[in-house]
Amino acid sequence: MRSFEYYKPNSIEEAIKIMSGLDNAKFIAGGTDVMVQLRQKKISPQHLISLRNISELRNIDTKDGLKIGSLVTHDDIDKNEYIKKYYSALTDATSRLGSKQIRNVATIGGNICNAAPSADTACPLLIFDAKAVIIGTKGEREVDLNEFFLGPGKTVLEKDEILKEFSMPRLKENTGSAYIKHTRREAMDLPILGVATRITISLDKDSQIRCRDLLCTIDSISNILMQLKDEGLKCEEARIAMGVVAPKPIRAKKAEEALAGKIISIELFEEVGEIAASEAQPRDSIRGEAWYRKEMIKVLVKRALMKSIDRIVRPDEEIYPERLW
Amino acid sequence: MENLKVVGKKIPKLDAPLKAAGVAQYIQDIKLPGMLYGKILYSKYPHANILKIDTSKAEKLAGVKAIVIAKDMPPNFRIGFMKDNPPLKSKKVLSIRDEIAAVAATSQEIAEEALSLIEVEYEELPGIFDPLEAMKEGAPILHEEAKSNVLKLPWRLVCGDVEKAKDESAYIAEDTFSTQWVTHCCLGTSGCIAHFDMQNNLTLYSNTQIPSLAQNDFVEALNAFGLKNRRVRIIQAVIGGGFGSKLDTYAYEYIAILLALKTKKPVKIIFTREEEFFATSPRQCTITKISQGCDKEGRLTFREVEMILDNGAYTSWGATTPSVMMLPISSLYKVPNVKYTAKCVYTNNTYCQAMRGYGNPQATFAIESNLDQLAEKADIDPLEIRRINANEPGEITPQRFKITSCGMKECIEEVAKRLNWKEKRGKDKGRGVGMASLIHVGGGARVYKSDGCGTIIKMDDFGKVDVFTGASDIGQGSDTVIAQIVAEVLGIPIEDVNVINNDTEVCPWDVGVHASRTTFVAGNAALGAANRIRQQILDAASKIFEEEPSNLDIKDSIIFSTKNSEKSIPLGKVLRRIHYTTGGKMLMAEYFYDPANENFDKEFKGNLSASYAYGTHGVEVEVDKETGKVKILNYIAAHDVGKAINPLLLEGQIYGGGLQGIGYALGEKMIYKDGRLMNGNFLDYKIPTVKDVPPIQPVIVETEEKEGPFGAKGIGEPGLVPTAPAIANAIYDAIGVRIKDLPITPEKVLAAIKAKEGEKKI
Amino acid sequence: MRKEITFTLNNEEVTVEVEPKWTLLYLLREVLGLTGTKEGCGYGECGACTVIIEGKAVNSCIYPVLEAEGKNITTIEGLSKNGELHVLQKAFIEKGAVQCGFCTPGMIMSAKALLDEKPNPTEDDIKEAIEGNLCRCTGYVMIIDAIKSVAAGR
Repeated sequence: MRSFEYYKPNSIEEAIKIMSGLDNAKFIAGGTDVMVQLRQKKISPQHLISLRNISELRNIDTKDGLKIGSLVTHDDIDKNEYIKKYYSALTDATSRLGSKQIRNVATIGGNICNAAPSADTACPLLIFDAKAVIIGTKGEREVDLNEFFLGPGKTVLEKDEILKEFSMPRLKENTGSAYIKHTRREAMDLPILGVATRITISLDKDSQIRCRDLLCTIDSISNILMQLKDEGLKCEEARIAMGVVAPKPIRAKKAEEALAGKIISIELFEEVGEIAASEAQPRDSIRGEAWYRKEMIKVLVKRALMKSIDRIVRPDEEIYPERLW
Repeated sequence: MENLKVVGKKIPKLDAPLKAAGVAQYIQDIKLPGMLYGKILYSKYPHANILKIDTSKAEKLAGVKAIVIAKDMPPNFRIGFMKDNPPLKSKKVLSIRDEIAAVAATSQEIAEEALSLIEVEYEELPGIFDPLEAMKEGAPILHEEAKSNVLKLPWRLVCGDVEKAKDESAYIAEDTFSTQWVTHCCLGTSGCIAHFDMQNNLTLYSNTQIPSLAQNDFVEALNAFGLKNRRVRIIQAVIGGGFGSKLDTYAYEYIAILLALKTKKPVKIIFTREEEFFATSPRQCTITKISQGCDKEGRLTFREVEMILDNGAYTSWGATTPSVMMLPISSLYKVPNVKYTAKCVYTNNTYCQAMRGYGNPQATFAIESNLDQLAEKADIDPLEIRRINANEPGEITPQRFKITSCGMKECIEEVAKRLNWKEKRGKDKGRGVGMASLIHVGGGARVYKSDGCGTIIKMDDFGKVDVFTGASDIGQGSDTVIAQIVAEVLGIPIEDVNVINNDTEVCPWDVGVHASRTTFVAGNAALGAANRIRQQILDAASKIFEEEPSNLDIKDSIIFSTKNSEKSIPLGKVLRRIHYTTGGKMLMAEYFYDPANENFDKEFKGNLSASYAYGTHGVEVEVDKETGKVKILNYIAAHDVGKAINPLLLEGQIYGGGLQGIGYALGEKMIYKDGRLMNGNFLDYKIPTVKDVPPIQPVIVETEEKEGPFGAKGIGEPGLVPTAPAIANAIYDAIGVRIKDLPITPEKVLAAIKAKEGEKKI
Repeated sequence: MRKEITFTLNNEEVTVEVEPKWTLLYLLREVLGLTGTKEGCGYGECGACTVIIEGKAVNSCIYPVLEAEGKNITTIEGLSKNGELHVLQKAFIEKGAVQCGFCTPGMIMSAKALLDEKPNPTEDDIKEAIEGNLCRCTGYVMIIDAIKSVAAGR
């Protein structure tokens, strides 16, 4: 491993200033990706600029919607009850990334800036319409997360720009979300496929109670959906995002459109799954085969949507982990 | 069994405090004064001619003390079971892990940098990565001197008349099964430190599982280096996991020795995790064609097995695993007619070695999966067919194994009961149960000329003993089991027993920690030595008491008469009395135990082990039909262990073996593409994490093996032998698809489900 | 260029010159001689190198050494007091949670970080705390037992 200088600025301005004066320099946050790349000699910067001392990047702000500083760790997010309740898909993702040791230091900004197609937090951020707030020498700008990724390891960040935070709008009533990470192992694993969904449904008190009774059973997902159809639950709005199916995490926009305004039914979910699968271009890799990933999109979109609905209908219940959704 | 005080008790592992405190010294932790760091340059291609090696730039790097290439090794010096592997390659490389050059430098980093400065010119050759291709007429021959890619190891066992039995069978099931490469994944990577003294005697700090055989290998190497009549001392560091990976000597050790010789400094080579993955030897992958038959009542009539093993580019002891595969093939359940042939084939893949089970997991996967297929054909419950054919005590199997103790039936019944077999089997709904049994060597295995182990015990003036054993502790706890046996025999507390097991300079000979033999063989050796000391003590005490030695006993370090309770004397007092007198003596004893087992004869028949271990595993699984994921709901592992000398350590072997077996069955696979390892890291080679542990219930069945120390048999390997077929059988019960190719990934399960659904539609 | 850092290591203040490219693990093992912390992979994938930094379990093999400045760090060597092993260490020994032992120090540190934060963890909490600590010998069962026994004993 070649030698490098290590800088520890205390403010965003200072960090940008250091960066703009250096060649072959790289920002480092939690370091769980950067340090590994260094040790594998995949990168060899002469300068590393640590962001860890910049406390203004560590905020979680829930006043209007949700703002998460880029230096917030996965563990911080796991422990945030507000996020868990309202932006559940994000907690689904942060709680299953790497291991406890990794989550204790790995930051959400780092996970996104590393721009891996498998980045766990990318799908939830996409479904929450997150904007990346970026600060650079030329000032501050906001980029829709959809536009943030350019390809594997590539983002819109200019050399002397820092990702400050993610900003997500407030969610409507009766909105639920979920992220499902499909893995071979139950921990310490990258997703074969990741799917996040957010759905807003029309729901009155009475139908909430009836749905609740339905969802409390351990019936199969299709049986529950069949009965749900009679409730006439309408999907007001939906978001679907998928990881490891393209060079970058993507939204399944056609599938989202197919959901909007429809009455929820097993047929609808299956159709939406098919559409989402058609929007993906997964590849064969040692981590998973393309055909299998496509098949799993159909299954996981359905399950993630179910899980999202479950969270609307039964907001205070833990979802049984052994349940398929 | 009489009232035991130490044996049979859950006694914590003696070296656990050192390990838990972080003070145990693994090879990684040892530093010698002036020590240099060695690093090895491996081939860039799986098959290539080496045209040129230029080390001149590397030599100029500050801190580099020596660089070695093939010409620095003695000419024609080869290692391995077939002596086909030069530690440094000169003209040709045959696999991606081929060693080309090595550096010794003042730091790890300089050594690494030096490697990057060595320039090698290659001429790439087309590789052969499939053993079936390698066997074809006209395939390039990898080892020209061998004239064929099929190794000259004619594994062939014939018992009875298989053809005749086929004709007479009511039902026959035939199929082909295959298994993958998996690797040990010891948490502590491989490594050694080689150090010569002024007279060129070698000390090697090592992780080896075979100190005595390794010592021989290195003496031979020193001879080849021109150092005749030098001594070799092996000191084992605390070993960070073995599982068979250290049952041979390897190129890196010879390279460290060469570098140490050149530099006159201690040289340490430690593998990185990447090296540990691609440059150590995995469990061999196999293709197995099997058929079994039974009569109308379900009694097995024959078993025929043809197997092809990918040997890789060189030959280690792994090529002898068919000898152990013969054990389940000929003798798992009663089967009168058996035929087995196996071919080991050279390819440009990594070369294979022993890994926990030594071939038995691969063979048992085929046998037990196929047995369920046969049961289905004969319309017999898989539990019933196992009951009908279960091995029994007193049996002499077709391969001439003399079955002494045998708890197979009890194991099968325990599994059936605890799994609630009758209730659970054959119900659809995506859940199912399966079982599989095992036979393994449980009383040593005479694969080498000797299967022995020596023990020396010396006793001090106060009744404390030092036990010098040849047995190696690789984490399984042989130190503790040996101490328990000695403490029990001598009637002393276990705290008074100190086991020394890591230095060939003081420890007696042992063939190695393999074949689940240590408790049985080293245990018997310790028992023999302890009995001799005990006799000396009782003889001395008998003179003091004027009582027959046979009327004396020792408990809690006090010698007493069993006839007259008033006659008693502290052990230490007797020891001092016989020591501090004219012509006095201190108590010492030695014992070399070599079990009465047999090497195979030319037909591969003979009583390989002095006893045999049995077990049955039962599994309940749930299959997610949409994703193909398999979840284990319940896992029962019943083992006939003879006698549990230490139930705590024994259960540890079952839990650990079981989870390794589950990894083998459901997920682990070294993915090789054209001879290159694609997943050589812990993220992509997926050993189970704590969250992958299903509910495992060990069941200990005790059968009191007469030959075993206090009735014990081996348990080191059995824990993972029947895991994969038990799971495969449960999956079949759950969803009606049979996966015949390990590992059973969700992709394979889902593809099989879809194929089956397709069938239905047609 | 070397830089001087000061931090608290096992309750003692340490000042040491380091190279920026070092990892915390390198400093501990190769410079300070604290070899209880192990390196199993070097990439944060096995947990053998786990230490506790500011109350949290961290993989020291991918922790930049300069980030140790001012931190409170505990390694396996810091657990025993006056030669007496920590209750977790004792529990690991007694419950059979140690076989080859290479993963043990890291495993114990992960468990300690958990119990310091949550004295009464559930079994799921325990599994989550050690999910990043690979063990190839024990099958984890007795490790979970050991941690449970300490939790119950408090």
